[in-house]
Amino acid sequence: MREHSAAELRALIALHRRGDVLFAALGILALGIAAFAFAALFFDMLVSGAPRLSWQFLTGFPSRHADQAGILSALVGSALVMLVTAAVAVPLGVAAGVYLEEYARRGWLADLIEINITNLAGVPSIVYGLLALGLFVQQFGLGQSIAAAGLTLALLILPVVIVATREAIRTIPQGIREGAYALGATRWQMVSGHILPYSSPGILTGIIIGLARAIGETAPVITIGALTFIALLPPAPVTPEFPWLSFEWLRSPFTVMPIQIFNWTSRPQAAFHANAAAAGLVLVLMTLAMNGLAIWLRHRLRARMRW
Amino acid sequence: MGATEHLSKQFEADLDATRTRVLEMGGLVEAQILAAIDAYASGDAALIERVIENDRRVNAHEVAIDGACSHIVVKRQPAASDLRLIMAVSKIVTDLERIGDEAEKIARMAKRIHEEGGGPFAQRFPAIRHAAQIAVRMLRQALDAFARLDAGPCADVVKEDAAIDDEFRSVLRSLITYMMGDPRTISTALEIVWVAKAIERIGDHAKNLAEQVIYIVRGTDVRHSPPAEVDREVAKE
Amino acid sequence: MPALSLATAVETRAGAAPSAPKAEARGLSFYYGEFRALKDLSLVVHEHRVTALIGPSGCGKSTFLRCFNRMHDLYPGNRYEGEIRLYPDDANLLAPQVDPIEVRMRLSMVFQKPNPFPKSIFENVAYGLRVRGERSRRALEDKVEAALRGAALWNEVKDRLAQPAFNLSGGQQQRLCIARALATDPELLLFDEPTSALDPIATTSIEELIAELKKRVTVLIVTHNMQQAARVSDYTAYMYLGELIEFGRTDELFIKPRHKQTEDYITGRFG
Repeated sequence: MREHSAAELRALIALHRRGDVLFAALGILALGIAAFAFAALFFDMLVSGAPRLSWQFLTGFPSRHADQAGILSALVGSALVMLVTAAVAVPLGVAAGVYLEEYARRGWLADLIEINITNLAGVPSIVYGLLALGLFVQQFGLGQSIAAAGLTLALLILPVVIVATREAIRTIPQGIREGAYALGATRWQMVSGHILPYSSPGILTGIIIGLARAIGETAPVITIGALTFIALLPPAPVTPEFPWLSFEWLRSPFTVMPIQIFNWTSRPQAAFHANAAAAGLVLVLMTLAMNGLAIWLRHRLRARMRW
Repeated sequence: MGATEHLSKQFEADLDATRTRVLEMGGLVEAQILAAIDAYASGDAALIERVIENDRRVNAHEVAIDGACSHIVVKRQPAASDLRLIMAVSKIVTDLERIGDEAEKIARMAKRIHEEGGGPFAQRFPAIRHAAQIAVRMLRQALDAFARLDAGPCADVVKEDAAIDDEFRSVLRSLITYMMGDPRTISTALEIVWVAKAIERIGDHAKNLAEQVIYIVRGTDVRHSPPAEVDREVAKE
Repeated sequence: MPALSLATAVETRAGAAPSAPKAEARGLSFYYGEFRALKDLSLVVHEHRVTALIGPSGCGKSTFLRCFNRMHDLYPGNRYEGEIRLYPDDANLLAPQVDPIEVRMRLSMVFQKPNPFPKSIFENVAYGLRVRGERSRRALEDKVEAALRGAALWNEVKDRLAQPAFNLSGGQQQRLCIARALATDPELLLFDEPTSALDPIATTSIEELIAELKKRVTVLIVTHNMQQAARVSDYTAYMYLGELIEFGRTDELFIKPRHKQTEDYITGRFG
């Protein structure tokens, strides 16, 4: 004996379907709020900042006159700091991630490290600034330099890189590892020949997202004392004489985009506010470009990998 | 063996049904022999016709059981004792069918002997009935062993085959004596030889059956081995 | 072949002709931490024969197989007792002073799920050779071709060696893994349920291949499929709860098992 007639079943299904419709509506609403908020902010910035965007704005130094001020030193500063950050955080983070996933034995020590890394990712960035002020700026005598800032931000994004590396490594099936080991590979042969290549899309994505976060950081950079008014570029890294490379720039004072923006917004004149909006626009575009690059890289590299 | 049940009830049921059907066929064949020998003695025309008619049922059993075996092989890929059972059953039904044919042959001979008025002459050979009794006993024992999956009685069946052969030779000897003494008996005597030969063949088939039961139970192929060796195999534990 | 008598044909099929032992487990026990997964196993693997390990899930057949190439060394807390001898040099593969990597260089393994590397077909087969330091392009090409031919895959892939291995079908991927295992010329080839992820046609081709392979290599195969063990192997071992219950010639074991437990398992009375 059937429990429900066809009509009853249909009524029941219709009732259940209502849940689907309801949740879909809720989801669209939530998505709409987020998208609208971002669009409003971006649009506001676009309206007030876009007229200021010009070649002169991008290549000019700061000035007391709002209409002559540019962001060149901040742009270059941000780029150089990011360079240092990446150069430090990537090898350290990837190596730590690989070690934790492929070498470290499971145990209380591994658990402790795991908890620490997770917690580090949650530490407010100003705390990193304080740490860096004491350690890099004063203790190591790096001063208020690009090197100090780069190292600070590297510390800040290290957990991000480590976690991303570990996540990427974990998606590699155990069968791949055993396949390599069964052929007589050593651990390092397995890691270098398989784990690193196959996890590179995930790791790269993690690195870029970390850098995108670092480029917008203000608090730790202020704490270690970035200047707000830099009318000079750091020494060029390439020199005409032997050894053709110079690391003098590492020690030079600097400013970065968020500080430049912060500085301009704290001025009373409306013209400077327009400058801030324009610089903000540039910063947002830079971040979006980096995220875009991350997505593109992931798709490109993932296409080659399947299991 | 066979104490534990299959996980698949359906498989268990299929095997059981096949085994039961073999025993049914065996019972039918046994009845056919008895009826044929009675008909040989009495010349009862109705009985003769019934034996000849019933052979069709025996044949139908053979075809049906063989079909069931193929079905089980295809569906279950039997192994070990199940495999041996199926393989042996498909040989056992062939032997049973041949026994059925021999019974039918006896009935046909009986018909001819009695039509020619050789009835009284045929009565003079009690060894025929005796041999037939041994053959039926062998068949019964073999079927019984098959039903209980017990190799024990099978060695006896194999041994008894020699007794039938002895009876067959003694019938043959006395028939020769009669034929030499009175050539008019030759035609009936030859028909009686056919009957005796048929009984001897039934003994052979019953022996084959017993050997198949040993194969099912023990997994040893004792065909073409001397009875002493079969005895040793069965006694082994 | 008119000279081939029926008896010879049956003998050949059954792989009855005795052969020298290639490997031998002696009193092998294995522990996952405190859990004793294998209990005092002794078994001879005959050269150029296929030996199958069967038994219900969790009986330890895969665990046993993975002792041969010391795969258990990859994970902490595992411990062996007893010996696995590899002939003719009579080396104990489980001896603590023997480097598991050395063992893995002598034996090859094919896994349950095809596990080609996300690299090209060529690089997959060449990997074992590269691990062994082979650099010569010429030697690599020759050995890759020989291995792919040995795995009956060459004709299907010779025009696309540079393509990703993942473009192959499941059965082809598994044959690629067999080629990868063959390329390093192993003394013993271990198969861990190699067809459980494949469709019936691909399964047949792998089984055919195994029958072909035993001419040049000794094969030890774990399978959960009894019919497969009956089809491909010359010797079969039945395991239950970490113990070796019965070991013998495959047709004997499948027609006339000596132990009731084996009988119950292969006739489907297990439970």
